[in-house]
Amino acid sequence: MAYQYQQPAPGGVDPQFLWGVFQRVDKDRSGSISANELGTALSNGTWTPFNPETVRLMIGMFDRDNNGTINFQEFQSLWKYVTDWQNTFRSYDRDNSGAIDKNELKIALQSFGYRLSDRFYDILIRKFDRQGRGQVAFDDFIQCCVVMQTLTSAFRYHDTDQDGWIQISYEQFLTLVFSMKS
Amino acid sequence: MCHATILKLGSYDVSCDSCEIELYTRDFSRSNMAGYPPPGGYGYGQPAQGYGAPPPGQPYGAPPPGQPYGAPQPGYGGYQQPGYGAPPPGIDPQVYHWFTTVDADRSGRITVTELQQALTNANWSHFNAETCRLMIGMFDRDHSGHIDLNEFQALWNYIHQWKGVFDRYDRDRSGSIEFNELHNAFTEMGFRLSPQFAQLIVTKYDVHARRALTLDNFIQSCVLLRSLTDNFRARDTTGTGNIQISYEDFMCMVMLNKP
Repeated sequence: MAYQYQQPAPGGVDPQFLWGVFQRVDKDRSGSISANELGTALSNGTWTPFNPETVRLMIGMFDRDNNGTINFQEFQSLWKYVTDWQNTFRSYDRDNSGAIDKNELKIALQSFGYRLSDRFYDILIRKFDRQGRGQVAFDDFIQCCVVMQTLTSAFRYHDTDQDGWIQISYEQFLTLVFSMKS
Repeated sequence: MCHATILKLGSYDVSCDSCEIELYTRDFSRSNMAGYPPPGGYGYGQPAQGYGAPPPGQPYGAPPPGQPYGAPQPGYGGYQQPGYGAPPPGIDPQVYHWFTTVDADRSGRITVTELQQALTNANWSHFNAETCRLMIGMFDRDHSGHIDLNEFQALWNYIHQWKGVFDRYDRDRSGSIEFNELHNAFTEMGFRLSPQFAQLIVTKYDVHARRALTLDNFIQSCVLLRSLTDNFRARDTTGTGNIQISYEDFMCMVMLNKP
């Protein structure tokens, strides 16, 4: 080992390399990455701007000190997160088109353990298909998976006897849905 | 005089980052047309009260009759687009004038980007893209992803009605709806919800942390609230304010209404 760090970079990525990436993304040299900088730096492989909602979502997840920006330490976790999703996404995007269709999305989510009807996947693809092509791009895919996770754990939280049914009050329900907004 | 300017005129420098999404149409099914500001009775959350029956004397979200604000005047008077003649029959000349102005590329149709460039909040910020998509989705009857002149007439009326509601609840005339004003608005519209809920909405929709909602955010949150309430009510057959719901149904309902 040429160098030793107290905290090894996640996913075994060279921290020197990540530092280089961080500096390139941090265009104004402020030492931290803003939502705008992150949005510009991320690519969804389709030459369209990265979904700003996904960017906000990720900043919200990794901005541990809640200052609205990402410092280098937070960036390392974020990087691992994005590359993990990228690998997952690529394994379902067989033709490397940068987008996955409804069937591929269904297979992906089934492999994560979700059991839902075709009707649900129709809704899902309509909701996360920002290009109007019947497909979901990488950035929207991340958002889609995070929303699925959030909703399912919210449901589980209420499903105390785990029978797949919950009782929920009007305000609880509204609070749950509005809390999803990133 | 109104201070939440609806439309402005001029030529637009289309440089917004997040709105290259002309063809994007979300599934705002017709149920979302229920997002109209002037609802009939909208009591909910108070089980004792029958659904649908407005409390007596309650003005609700319906705008007062007549246009109290006067249709907004073009900021740069007499802006006449070449290539457009007199308005077609049945179209308000002023609406026609606005349409031709908003339609920056003169395609005869308005995209999300064009609408967003044309609509401003009281603080001169542009409407957010999500609200524009929401509204285009509601009025785009032929699902083209665009708004044509006829659809624009309906959209125009809709925005004006919402602005009337907004101004009514903006009691301190600050140009934005603060948390207590929002709670009042919800209550007067017939939604029985706690102050904490209004607080959550302000926190979630106010991306600039000004602790208040601009017109676009106000429209967006009210439309969603209305739509969710309809969905919930449809399942609350006993009227107790509680529902039993399966995972599948829950996921479909929430996803359809995802903000």
